[in-house]
Amino acid sequence: MFERLWQWINERWPAKPVVQTLLTEEIPGGATFKFGFGACVLSVFFLQAATGLMQLFFYVPSVDHAYVSLSFLRTEVPFGWLIHNLHYWGATAMLTLVLIHMTQVYFWGAYKSPRELVWLLGSFNFLLAMLMMFAGSPLPWDEKGYWSTEVGTSIAGTVPFIGDLVKRILRGGEEMGQPTISRFFVLHVAILPVLLITFIILHLVAFRRFGCVGPWQEAKRSTTGPFWPDQLFKDLIMIGGIVIILLTLAVFVPPDFSGPADPLDTTFVPKSQWNFLFLFQALKYFPGRLEAVGTLGIPLVIILLLVSAPFVDRRKERNPAKRPVAMGLFIVVALVIICLSIMGSRSMPGVTRGGPPAKPEGTAGTPIVPPPSEGEQLVKTLGCLGCHTIKGEGGKVGPDLSAEGSRGRDREWLAKQIREPKSHNPASVMPAFSNLEDSQIDALIEYLQGLKSGDGGQTLASGLLQSPTSGFPQEGQPGSEEQEAGRPVTAAQQFIGDPRHGGKLFRQYCEACHGLAGRGGVPNPGSADGTVPALNPIEEELADKEPARFVAKIDPFIQYGETPSGPQPALKMPDFGRSLALTQGQISHLEAYILSLNGVRRDQISVPGVRPASFFVLVLGVFGLGILCLAGIRLWKSRR
Amino acid sequence: MTEAEVRPAERTSRRSFLQVAIWTITGLIGLVLGIPFLAALVGSASRKRQQEFSDVASLDALPVGLPVDLPFSESFEDGFIRGETVRRVWLIRTSASEVAAFSPICPHLGCRFDWDARASEFKCPCHASAYTADGRVVAGPAPRPLDSLPVEVRQGRVFVKWQQFKVGTPRKLLV
Repeated sequence: MFERLWQWINERWPAKPVVQTLLTEEIPGGATFKFGFGACVLSVFFLQAATGLMQLFFYVPSVDHAYVSLSFLRTEVPFGWLIHNLHYWGATAMLTLVLIHMTQVYFWGAYKSPRELVWLLGSFNFLLAMLMMFAGSPLPWDEKGYWSTEVGTSIAGTVPFIGDLVKRILRGGEEMGQPTISRFFVLHVAILPVLLITFIILHLVAFRRFGCVGPWQEAKRSTTGPFWPDQLFKDLIMIGGIVIILLTLAVFVPPDFSGPADPLDTTFVPKSQWNFLFLFQALKYFPGRLEAVGTLGIPLVIILLLVSAPFVDRRKERNPAKRPVAMGLFIVVALVIICLSIMGSRSMPGVTRGGPPAKPEGTAGTPIVPPPSEGEQLVKTLGCLGCHTIKGEGGKVGPDLSAEGSRGRDREWLAKQIREPKSHNPASVMPAFSNLEDSQIDALIEYLQGLKSGDGGQTLASGLLQSPTSGFPQEGQPGSEEQEAGRPVTAAQQFIGDPRHGGKLFRQYCEACHGLAGRGGVPNPGSADGTVPALNPIEEELADKEPARFVAKIDPFIQYGETPSGPQPALKMPDFGRSLALTQGQISHLEAYILSLNGVRRDQISVPGVRPASFFVLVLGVFGLGILCLAGIRLWKSRR
Repeated sequence: MTEAEVRPAERTSRRSFLQVAIWTITGLIGLVLGIPFLAALVGSASRKRQQEFSDVASLDALPVGLPVDLPFSESFEDGFIRGETVRRVWLIRTSASEVAAFSPICPHLGCRFDWDARASEFKCPCHASAYTADGRVVAGPAPRPLDSLPVEVRQGRVFVKWQQFKVGTPRKLLV
């Protein structure tokens, strides 16, 4: 049946000669694992194409939907976790394998005449793979991808003369936003893949023109081995190994849910991707006018070195031991790139982040707003506004501080109040900020003493405002049950937050009332319970094993606040969402943290298909069985 | 032993083994990746929706014996999109404490029917199917009675669980 079909096809299309051309190749020195890296790169490319295509069935490239649609794929689509995690690790694997492949070609001297074009096309593929990773990074529209693209496009923006234009073209405007995601999406799924496929084919055709270069020792080259089936068998063993490694990473080291992209979140440390870290770090050594050396010079030098290698190094000698200059240059460049990358991964960001558009300065009719002082910043970051009101913004738990400067309290009194509130009033529920440095206390006092009655000016919370993507539902108001029932699903409920990030926010905004790690015990005089409710563990009726339901129950408290029952509760839950004191992204982090305190993972996979660990065991079993079968066949054949 | 020194018979045996091994490994890789990828598409397409009861009306506001068409808001899931959507339902208070609920979709071909107060019948404008107030077919091509929906009365409020059924079939089959 199959033979008849094969014959039928061959009568109409030259399938047999095509397959023969593809499979017939003599490998100088015989088949070896050393020559399998090219095939591995190609296989991982196919894996990336397949997993990328699968993601397209679920992913929506918009600032409002990218993060949520990808989270849905990862947690609620059978094997969605596998598809995404394989794609994530596949990108790193592909670039790593390309680098190994190129290093090997360089060591073997395989770029030399007559294989110059193979090298050039390969180098171009390497640059395309770098760009693929760069273009894929912002697509999840999460914190990590957003900020790495912010840094990456900022680097592009520092190129002299055309930098600003390049940055604008990449971002689709001055700021990152919907045009950015659309552009990077088209680059990542259409333009770059088409270029990659084209150049991979050109690379392979050029490679087959002169074939594999083989060992550099003349004697070893005299024997040859066939590509089919000997080399292909070895290639497949390597590919199988890579698939197992990728599956291991996908199962045991899944990428984080870093939370939705939040341009207003100042707590996230932006970093470029690992493959651009060397450039990110190198730019720090070229300040001011010299910046062009870093942004344009370094990449150009690398590209020039790659392109010129076969034309500069024209000696026929391929033995690495007899090519000290070529080897020395390679080692120096590799060491510099590795060192810069390590330094970059450890350092703090050196590129200014974007954020909301700056107000035009000095425009007629627009008052110039002075930048907030250190004290004003501290008031925001320490969470003072959770309890105190300053110029109409903030909570009502503590005294209004809008006219604190007019009360005539001296520096010592204020310093003591901040460090040890109970020293003035033993019943005070204000947390003691005893760990602040002197300079921070001074800055706070200076700011507080500057607050005089009748001051107008900018409201304090203005820097904390606005949800990053979909807005906060203003129509929902706290109060009656009917109003609660009509509350729409908030953005925070749909975002999968990062519990570690939430932990930081919790210490800043919530710990003062809910206690260390949410364990409660903080007195709330005048409330029916007498203490602020603990969140660790949380009340039974609020807890739920299903993360989405758990979040839906606690979200209204954080969004709309709550007044505890009792005659006159001293502490009330502030409305962090409605007052815009926290962004929806930040609330999602807090919720993920509160869930983690109660033993529930926010990123729990609710529809896994097969649980990751079980799937891993299953795959190992299938591969193990396959190997056993093959070993049996081999044994049986050898006995015959 | 070099390739040239290997005996031809052994070489053929080795060659055929390698071919079997290549197909086996390719097949295994295809299997462990292909099945999950297909399952992602098939599994996400065959997921059943979990509907919950929604608060529709106050029992006291409903007249006894007279059908009332009421809108209510229900949370919905459409892929990754979660939100609220408005549905409509026919409620008939059958006694002081009991209520029946009908889907507003005609079981014949999915048109929206209405209550004809003069004839005291539900009438579908598309193919003239007519039903009594308790949902029985009295005229027209409708293959089954009106689709009743699960309804509960809790503390004076009427809760309905929205469901959708296949149209055109004599049996009431959930979509």
